[in-house]
Amino acid sequence: MNFWFAVLRQAGRNLKQTWTSQFMTFLTVSLSVLIFAFFYLIYTNMLGAGDRLNDELRLIVYLEEEPGPAMQMQLRRKIENFDDVEEIIFISKEAAYKRFAKQLGEDSDVLDDMPKNFLPASIEVVPLKGLRGYNQIKLFSEYLASLPGTEKVQYGQEWVERFYYFTRLLTIVVLLSGTLLILTATFMVAYTIRLTIMGRQDELELLKLVGATNSYIRTPFLIEGILQGFMGSIIGLSALYGLFRWIISHFTGPGILHIFQFDFFPPIVIFIIILCSISLCSIGSYTSIRKFLKI
Amino acid sequence: MSSQESTEEAMASGNTMIEMIKVSRTYHPNITALSEISLSIETGEMFFLIGPSGAGKTTLLKLISNMEVPTKGLIEIAGHNINKLKGNKLAYLRQKIGVAYQDFKLLNDRTVAENIAISMEVSYKNPKTIKKQVRDLLDQLQLTDKHNSLTGELSRGEQQRVALARSVANSPRLILVDEPTGNLDASTTKRVMELLNRSKQAGATIVIATHDASIYKQGKHRVMELRNGVIHSLTRGNT
Ligand SMILES: Nc1ncnc2c1ncn2[C@@H]1O[C@H](COP(=O)(O)OP(=O)(O)OP(=O)(O)O)[C@@H](O)[C@H]1O
Ligand SMILES: [Mg+2]
Repeated sequence: MNFWFAVLRQAGRNLKQTWTSQFMTFLTVSLSVLIFAFFYLIYTNMLGAGDRLNDELRLIVYLEEEPGPAMQMQLRRKIENFDDVEEIIFISKEAAYKRFAKQLGEDSDVLDDMPKNFLPASIEVVPLKGLRGYNQIKLFSEYLASLPGTEKVQYGQEWVERFYYFTRLLTIVVLLSGTLLILTATFMVAYTIRLTIMGRQDELELLKLVGATNSYIRTPFLIEGILQGFMGSIIGLSALYGLFRWIISHFTGPGILHIFQFDFFPPIVIFIIILCSISLCSIGSYTSIRKFLKI
Repeated sequence: MSSQESTEEAMASGNTMIEMIKVSRTYHPNITALSEISLSIETGEMFFLIGPSGAGKTTLLKLISNMEVPTKGLIEIAGHNINKLKGNKLAYLRQKIGVAYQDFKLLNDRTVAENIAISMEVSYKNPKTIKKQVRDLLDQLQLTDKHNSLTGELSRGEQQRVALARSVANSPRLILVDEPTGNLDASTTKRVMELLNRSKQAGATIVIATHDASIYKQGKHRVMELRNGVIHSLTRGNT
């Protein structure tokens, strides 16, 4: 008990002596956590939205001719040859017509004058849940287009492509802001602790002479790092949560956020971010202690 | 903790507190501060170290407190080769050695009370005990009204007494004092010596380096005179 009392008292003295640089470090750490967590939050939400869209992804293969039962068998075999699929549904011209009429609802009378076979027959291919990479989908669609009797293949190519590139870009941004967080947390903390150590050489020297143990001298600086990491991540995440609430309350409604279903981090992710921030800052203080506190 | 206890035990029970065998210390480039000093000081003894300026008194005290390392020779404190001790073992031993340095080594931007408390804080003394001990010592050294003064603002004589108070505060088994009365008048010198005698009565071994004949002439303590780094004479006071 006395040990922790003494160590906390020393840590308090350190904070008092260099509080301006301590405060700057704390702000920097908070800001880096905020920036990183902000992008990471968007990223995880994008991934969630991507999953949901993927669940509805299907490739529609428009056919030149209505396939007979033998042809259907052959097509089915060829598709399954390329890859296992979740489901293959044949839609005849008539079924397509009925479905369209149903979609039109009350306005379906505009179809009265049209021949019942004006829509092409098609195959709906629902890919396996595992087959989710953009390139795989693209390859698959190319293969389907090469089957005999197909006219074209549709799966919202443009949309999938954009979504894919946006996710890629976001991955890079998340990695960059993560690197920024690592650098600022470790280097800023290492720097302020170095400042404290340099400013107190006389005292540290004396402490050794009167018999202070290594842990008595070192632990306060380590606590300082842990405190910086803890406070910085708590404040950074709180700021992000405030921002998140604000966005939710101002932009919800029948807009795109509705489809996206914007969620905050689950507790485990919050916990991991705090833990990472603490570890980074501890590493920062530890390197300074190793370098400048020769015992 | 066990090494802490064993240190304490050795310092209480042993007969010899300080054992030096053929100890030399040279400084770069070729100043011989001490050469081939052999010396043994009993537990509970009060021992005086005299000699002209530059004779090597401070160097000897620094070697005993392991602030400096000998160029040659062996130094044992309570049976431990002090130059082989490392880490926490060395720390625990130093907690049992109180040193009042010739240049004081006070923290000038801290108060008098904080400076004295340091030696007790490192061995995790209870804050109440620390407060009481600080007040007692300041009373004995006539510094009661300086409790909250910044040490840097004190006179040299006052700083000297603060340094002394810090060296005895943690009830050390071995007390090394360098020139404790250099800046003091006769009555304050008497109070300082009373304080040191009280520590001796509590069983501490005390080594005092001094030019002040008034403090070693009476009494029958051993007095060692150094000259140019060698032992010139070793006598009992008063003879
Ligand atoms: N760090 C050092 N570097 C070089 N020479 C040193 C160092 N410390 C002491 N000396 C030399 O060692 C010799 C002994 O010095 P020391 O300080 O032990 O003398 P002293 O007996 O304490 O003198 P005083 O009575 O003036 O305090 C001196 O010649 C001094 O110049
Ligand atoms: Mg000296």
